[in-house]
Amino acid sequence: MQGMARPSVHLDYPVHERTLDNGLRVVVSPDPATPSVAVNIWYDVGSRHEVSRRTGFAHLFEHLMFQGSAHVEPAQHIAILEAAGARANATTSFDRTNYYESGPAGLLDLALWLEADRLGTLPTALDQANLDNQREVVKEEKRQRYDNVPYGDTLQHLLALAFPAGHPYSHPTIGSMEDLDAASLDDVRTFFETHYMPNNAVLTIVGDVTPDQAWARAERYFSPIAARTQPPRRTTPPLPALTGSPRTELEQPVPSDAVYLCWRLPAMDSRAYDALRLAFDVLGDGQTSRLYRALVRDSDLAESADSGTLGLIDGTSLGFVVARARDETTAEQLEAALREHVALFLAEGPTADELTRARAQHERVTLQNLAALANRADLLSGYTVLCDNPELVNQRLAQVLGLTDTDVVLTSQYLLRLENCATLVYHSTL
Amino acid sequence: MSSDFLLRPLPERPALSEAAPWQYPLPTDRYLDNGMRVVVHHLPGQHIVSGCVVVELPLSSEPRHLEGIATITARCMDEGTATHPGTGYAEELASEGAALSLAVGQAGLQVFLDAPVSRMDRALALFAEALVRPTLAAEDIERHVDLRLAEIEQLLSRPTSFTPILLRAVVFEPTNRAQRLIGGNRACLANIRPDDVWAFHGTHLDPTRATLVLGGDFSRNDPMPLIESVFGPWRGIGLPPAAHPMPTPGPPRIVLADRPGAVQANIALGGIGPDRLDPDWADLKVATHAVGGAFWSRLNRVLREERGFTYGISMGMLPFRRGGAFNVASSFRTDVAAAALDEARGLMSLEDAPLTADEVTDAVSYATGLAPLGFATARGVVDQTASNVLNGLPLGHVNDHLARLRAVTPESATRAYTVMADPARISIVVAGDAELLLDPLSDIGLVPDEVVHPEDIVG
Repeated sequence: MQGMARPSVHLDYPVHERTLDNGLRVVVSPDPATPSVAVNIWYDVGSRHEVSRRTGFAHLFEHLMFQGSAHVEPAQHIAILEAAGARANATTSFDRTNYYESGPAGLLDLALWLEADRLGTLPTALDQANLDNQREVVKEEKRQRYDNVPYGDTLQHLLALAFPAGHPYSHPTIGSMEDLDAASLDDVRTFFETHYMPNNAVLTIVGDVTPDQAWARAERYFSPIAARTQPPRRTTPPLPALTGSPRTELEQPVPSDAVYLCWRLPAMDSRAYDALRLAFDVLGDGQTSRLYRALVRDSDLAESADSGTLGLIDGTSLGFVVARARDETTAEQLEAALREHVALFLAEGPTADELTRARAQHERVTLQNLAALANRADLLSGYTVLCDNPELVNQRLAQVLGLTDTDVVLTSQYLLRLENCATLVYHSTL
Repeated sequence: MSSDFLLRPLPERPALSEAAPWQYPLPTDRYLDNGMRVVVHHLPGQHIVSGCVVVELPLSSEPRHLEGIATITARCMDEGTATHPGTGYAEELASEGAALSLAVGQAGLQVFLDAPVSRMDRALALFAEALVRPTLAAEDIERHVDLRLAEIEQLLSRPTSFTPILLRAVVFEPTNRAQRLIGGNRACLANIRPDDVWAFHGTHLDPTRATLVLGGDFSRNDPMPLIESVFGPWRGIGLPPAAHPMPTPGPPRIVLADRPGAVQANIALGGIGPDRLDPDWADLKVATHAVGGAFWSRLNRVLREERGFTYGISMGMLPFRRGGAFNVASSFRTDVAAAALDEARGLMSLEDAPLTADEVTDAVSYATGLAPLGFATARGVVDQTASNVLNGLPLGHVNDHLARLRAVTPESATRAYTVMADPARISIVVAGDAELLLDPLSDIGLVPDEVVHPEDIVG
C-alpha cells in the first residue's frame, strides 16, 4: 500500500497481566534500568458518568480521595509519599480518573497500601468539613485555570456546540459553580459506592520489580477489598456528523480574535480516528503544517495556527483547527482563510511529504511518551481500561504508521467536510 | 475495622525499604579543534536521542535599546539554513522525526534536539546546520518580531504568567538586564532590524562559547565522528570569556497591578536569592521546600488544606548563573485575598517557628528519592547536564548537591532562610481588581507604593 510506514524500532516493553479474585486487573511491566517504580490506577469513571445537575463531581471526588481514609489522616496521602521521596497526584477527565505515584523502587509497598486504604475505607473518613474545604479548593482551581484566563471557556463552548444537551460529553470535567455548590455528602458516598471498587479499576506497576514481586504485593494490599456490583456499562451510540453549521460568537476581553472550526470524530479506538489524527497533524501541527504556513508564515493573517484532537471512548471524539488573528485581521477574514485552507486540503489531499512528516513526528512523540516510567504506566492503564488490551503499548505505533495515504485522504474527505463543522469565534473587546 | 467494602482487615502500614544507592551518570567531556565542548552521555536502552547546544551568551550583552535580540536570533535559527533554505529546513527536520526547540535565559541560549535514535545521523547533521549556517532571512526576522509582539499581548492577559515577571521587575534594580523581559519589551522590539540580528549573531554565536550535550543509546553508533564532521566546520571569531554580572536589588516595594473585573487576585512575594554555587544553596532548597515547596508545606497546608483559599501556593528559588531571586506565588478569590496574603506573610517567617528536624528530613528524602526517576530518560539527563554547563557548574553537580543536602540541619536551613527571606527586604506584587483590593490591603497594613497597569511595568 502506498505511503504507509513501519516503526524504526521494535517496541517490546514486557506486559504481564493478572486479575485478582475481586476483579482488580493488575498490569506489570518490569524495567530494571533505574531503581525506580511507577504505580498508576485508572478507575473507569470520568465526567461522562456524571448525572445532570452534578457536573464536576468526578473531579471533586478525586480531591476527596486525598482527604484521608481509615488509617491515613486528611491530606496525608501526598505528604507521606513526598516524604518518602516520591511524587503523587491524580487527574480526572471525560473517560477516567487516574491516581499515580512514582519514586524509588522501595516505595512500592507504601504506595499500594495507601491506594488500598482509600479504596477499602474512604467513606469512614468523609465528612462535611473536608467536603466543604475541597469544594472551595476546586472552585479556586476553576477560577485559576478557566475563569481568570483568556479563552479559558473554549472547551466548554466547543463541547456545547459538538454534543447535544444531556450527552455524556456535553459538559467539561471541571463542571459548574452551581453544581459544585450543590454537592452533598450523600452524593459523595453514593458516587464512591457506585464507581470505586476493585472490579472497576486497573492497577499498573512499572519499574524495578519482577512480575512475581508485583503480584504478591497487589494481592497482599488489594485482595482484602470486596468486589461489588459494577455500574452498568455505559455506551452511547456514535453521533452523526454535525449539521446546520452551528456557531457561537463571543465578545470577550481576550487579547486577539480567535476562530475555531470543530468536528465530531469517531471514537478514539477506531482506525478512522487514527487517520484523522494524522490529518489534523498535517493541518496544524508545527511550523511546517499547512495552516501555520498559510496563515502565519506566508500571509501575516494570524499570530498562531494550530490543530488538536480530543480522543474519547464513548462513541464520538472531537477535532478542531484554530487560529488567532493579528491586529490587522478581522475574525471574518480569519474564518474565511481557515475554511479556504481546509477546503484545499480536502480537495487536494495531503502530499506524500506531509504524511511522511506527520508519521515521523508521531513516532517520535510516541517514543518520548513511552520513555518515562510514569507515562508508560499511564498508557498501560489507559489501554487496559479503554481498549481492554495493555499490549497496545507495543502495538499502537505500528497501527498508526500502517495507515495508508489513501486511508487519510478518504477518511478526511468523508468526515471533515466543511458543512459538518461547528464554529466558535472570539471577538476581542480590548 | 469492619466495613461493607472489606472482606478482611487491610494489612498494617509497611515500612519503607532503603533506597538503592544511585549516582548521577557522568558524561565524557572533550573539545573539538574549533573550541566547541562536547559532552556525551551513553544511556543504554533509550529509543530517543536528546541533545542540547548551550551557547554562553549573557543577556547583559544585548544592547539596551535592542533587548530581545537574542530571543529573535534564536527563533530564526530553524527558519532555513545555507544547505536547506526556507521551509526546506524545518521540513527535513520533521521528516526525520526530529524536533528542535529553544530556551533563552540570563546566561545564554539552549537549542534542544530530540529524535529517534535510528535517525540520529541525519538529525544531528541538520541540528548542526541551524547553529553553524542559519540563513536569518530578513522576512523571518521581521515576522518573529511581530509574533513576539503578539506574544506580549497574550502574556499581559495571563496573570499567572505576568505576576512573577512584575515581581522580578520590582526586585531587581533597573540597571540589571534580569529586571526586564527575556524576550524584550515592545519599545526594544520595535528597534530590531535584520542587520542588527546579523551583527548580533556574528558577534555572539561562537563555537568557543558553545557546548553540545548529547544523550542516548550509542552502543551501535559512536556519535563522535559525526559530531566532528558536522560541528567541526563551525568557525567563530574567538571570544574572550563571557562576563556574567551579579544582579543588584532594588528597594523593597509593594505594587498593585490593576485588573478590573478579575475573579482572583494573583500574588507574588519575594526578593534577592543566591545562585547554585552559594554555600547556602542546599540549605535554602530544603528550607523553601518546607515553607512552600512541598504539598504539605507550611503555606499550602494552611492556605489550601485548612482555609480553602487557593488551588495551591508555591515557593521556589529562581537562580541565575550569578545571583538570583526567590518567590512565593499563588492566586486567591478576591474577597479573601488580603487575608490570605497576610497569613502567607506570617507563615513565611521562621522567627518564632524554626524548621523542625522532620521538615528537614522530609525535604531531603523528597529531593534524593526523586532524583533517579527524573534522570531515567535521555531528555531528563541532557536537560540537567545542559543546565550545569549553562550555569558554570561541574558535570557532577547533582551528586555534589545531593551530598550537601544530606548534611543540612534544621539550624543551618533556618539560618540561611532567615537571612534570605528577611521580611524587611521582601517585595510584594498583587494583580487583581484594585477597587476591591485597596481597602482590604490597607487594613492589613499593606499600602501599595504604586498602583499600575501590568503593561506599564512590562513595557
